[in-house]
Amino acid sequence: MSETSIDSASRSDDGFFERYSSRALIAAVTVSAIAALLVGGWLFPDSIVGTFADVVTSRNTLSSALRLSVPIAFAALGGIFSEKSGVINIGLEGLLIISAFTAIYVTDVTGGVWVGFGGGVLASVLLALLFAVVTIEFRADQIIAGLAVWLIALGLAPFASQVIYGGPNTPTVPTPGSITVPVLADIPFFGALFSASPSVYLLFLAVGLSWYVFERTTFGRWIRASGENPKALDTAGVSVTRVRYAAVLLSGVLSGMGGAALSLDLGQFTGNGPTMVNGKGFIAIVAYLFGNYNPIGAFLSTLLFAGLDAMQTVLQLQGIGVPRQLIRITPFVVVIVVLALVGRTRIPEAAGEHYESGEE
Amino acid sequence: MDTAVHLDGITKRFPGVVANDNVDFAVERGTVHALLGENGAGKTTLMNVLYGLYDPTSGRVLVDGAERSFESPRDAIDAGIGMIHQHFMLVDPMTVTENITLGNEPEKWGGLAVDRAAARDTVVDLSERYGFDVDPDARIEDVSVGEQQRVEILKALYRGADILILDEPTAVLTPQEVEELFEVLEELTAQGKTIIFITHKLGEAMRAADDITVLRDGRNVGTVDAAETTREDLAELMVGREVILDVEKSPAETGDVVASASEIVVEDERGVRAVDGVSFEVRAGEVFGIAGVDGNGQSELTEAVTGLELPDSGRIEFLGDDVTETSRRSRIDAGMSYIPEDRQDRGLVMDFDLVENGLLGSQHTPEFGPNGRIDWNHSREHAEAIIDEYDVRPPNADATSESLSGGNQQKFIVGREFDRDPELVVAAHPTRGVDVGSIEFIHERLLELRAQGVAVLLISSKLEEVQGLSDRLAVMYEGEFMDVVDPATTTEEQLGLLMAGEHPDERATGSEESPQPERNAASGGEHA
Repeated sequence: MSETSIDSASRSDDGFFERYSSRALIAAVTVSAIAALLVGGWLFPDSIVGTFADVVTSRNTLSSALRLSVPIAFAALGGIFSEKSGVINIGLEGLLIISAFTAIYVTDVTGGVWVGFGGGVLASVLLALLFAVVTIEFRADQIIAGLAVWLIALGLAPFASQVIYGGPNTPTVPTPGSITVPVLADIPFFGALFSASPSVYLLFLAVGLSWYVFERTTFGRWIRASGENPKALDTAGVSVTRVRYAAVLLSGVLSGMGGAALSLDLGQFTGNGPTMVNGKGFIAIVAYLFGNYNPIGAFLSTLLFAGLDAMQTVLQLQGIGVPRQLIRITPFVVVIVVLALVGRTRIPEAAGEHYESGEE
Repeated sequence: MDTAVHLDGITKRFPGVVANDNVDFAVERGTVHALLGENGAGKTTLMNVLYGLYDPTSGRVLVDGAERSFESPRDAIDAGIGMIHQHFMLVDPMTVTENITLGNEPEKWGGLAVDRAAARDTVVDLSERYGFDVDPDARIEDVSVGEQQRVEILKALYRGADILILDEPTAVLTPQEVEELFEVLEELTAQGKTIIFITHKLGEAMRAADDITVLRDGRNVGTVDAAETTREDLAELMVGREVILDVEKSPAETGDVVASASEIVVEDERGVRAVDGVSFEVRAGEVFGIAGVDGNGQSELTEAVTGLELPDSGRIEFLGDDVTETSRRSRIDAGMSYIPEDRQDRGLVMDFDLVENGLLGSQHTPEFGPNGRIDWNHSREHAEAIIDEYDVRPPNADATSESLSGGNQQKFIVGREFDRDPELVVAAHPTRGVDVGSIEFIHERLLELRAQGVAVLLISSKLEEVQGLSDRLAVMYEGEFMDVVDPATTTEEQLGLLMAGEHPDERATGSEESPQPERNAASGGEHA
């Protein structure tokens, strides 16, 4: 008796250790690296370290990191909802593309930026609905269906642009501008948080709300149960199918907000090659894995990736060239290292599996 | 006498199988009622009928005296029935409280949030009321299996269950946890709950239940008062005593030792010794039988002998070589055939046709697979020869094994294994679920092999089968051989006692053959 309880206690300690310590280690390394950089920059302002320190503490870096974060973080939130419910949605990239184009088109036609925003979200939801029907109703393979969503959008958006505008790039439309909070916006560095596009504020709201839904509401629990042990949820009298539909549609809503914000903030959709979305949907997947399916964690890891990207741009302006390609692969390298080291990014038990009620 | 559940004349047919045959089953309120029977006796099917998972082919379900018809488990839950499955329905990363309240969470702020304090209070109240030891805030993945089971029980109680069905609840528990569970059951019945407890372990049924109903081959063969019955009566009820056939066999002409096992120990995943120091030898030209109620270590012993599981200690010899750690394949090549207990899981690949299934285990031999390529023509001839000789129906080598009935699947496996020209045949429950005609046929074949000087290790829980075929018969109980007896001079009553873990008194025959006399002395205090 006492042996088993000691045993289980030590086991849970191990679990705690494994779950948090590697992540804590990475956070500590990051923090001390930044601290070392800042100290070094302060001691030797003219050295290359000094330049780095300037860039890291520059308000512009934070502001462009936030801007770059918006589509990735929204898509990551969407991916969390979907995958936590048991449906792996690797079509986030496609949802971003379709909403980015539709938002510009609707804005162009109606003249209203927020109408365009809504149009983009709607397009993404419709594509997510198609994905949901195919994977939940017809039990298609989630990975293949997700790839199809990406490929459909990747072909459809530039094609529609070609038909409507005669080229893969749309003309420019008005942008929503930015919202500046007086006084707070004047704070050095962190002032960037208070002078940003409305989509940044929307993102803060979405991150907080998503966290609340998972941690505090009945629906959030049902989503978790649906992805971990759908049979337990089913025997508790909750329809797994409905929960999964709701979660996948929510991933459409959130990704749609990300895609629409991406193109509207620039006022244009560019559809050459991988389009303006350019892999952000895939980085989103990496971000939520790195964030261990936690909305706040996913947002912070997005900010880290976007921050690296923003730094790279600033550094190039300062004449220190870091190849863009190197920066771009950072998130993927980081996630491989993290998954290998941490090993505790816990994928929902039933993710990727179909569920049919009453199956014995 | 207040009847909580009454199943009246329940028959449940599946294609080709009658799982329950006109079963009457009544449970009194506030009692623990054990549903006892061997694997495949129809216990779980009967309870799934009560729980609304299956529609009975005929018969009535009465709960609290009123006839009910459950479309789904949800209806059964609404009628106050809760079922605790063998595999728990819990969400591992969520807490105990979250699991118990899942689907019925108390809410606040108009549904905008879970009222976590109220949920926790309810769970604490419930567990205090029934004396359960659970931590409401622990995650399921961090608590013991016994605690997980209590969470499952609390889940049913939280949803208002008055009648609890537990499907093989002790299968995953350590002995201490089993005792804790029985205490929990006592507390529950003391507070008016009714418990139905499915098991194949007669000791547990005797220990925990007020009444015991025994199912065999889908029929209710008797309901007894646990206080007035004996282990041997129950063992006899479970395995049956009707003689299917009189086996005529010539006296054994035994030769050299073909296979031997010494001091075999196999631990299961819980660290409990499923096989605890078993020794025996099988000689050419004899049938060595192992009898016992299912689940006393026979499966684990069989797998150790055939090379599917590595014993934790002990030594297995085959034809004079130490094969304890050799692979299954090398044992096949050396001449050890195996008719597995679960033919669909271990004996056949269900969606392969008979040509492919006939090849299994021989695919690498020069006869069937010369130069790394399979000789399909020869494989087909081989399969057709088995079909012909063993009367497999339909006689079509291209049919998938899935499309065959259980008896014909078994005949095909028997044919494949006997045709290997074996030195030793390990036959585990070779006639389970097989029709009478095929049983007779398989028995004859086994005796033919014996006459040819092949050693046969026969494991079966059918008393008349092992008694009729064996030359020497070991009785296994809780991982140990109770005794090795001469089946011809031992009575069914004596065997029944041994299967129940008790030694018959000194007039027991064949005791001079017993390799483990120390077991006789140990029997007294064992089941106090």
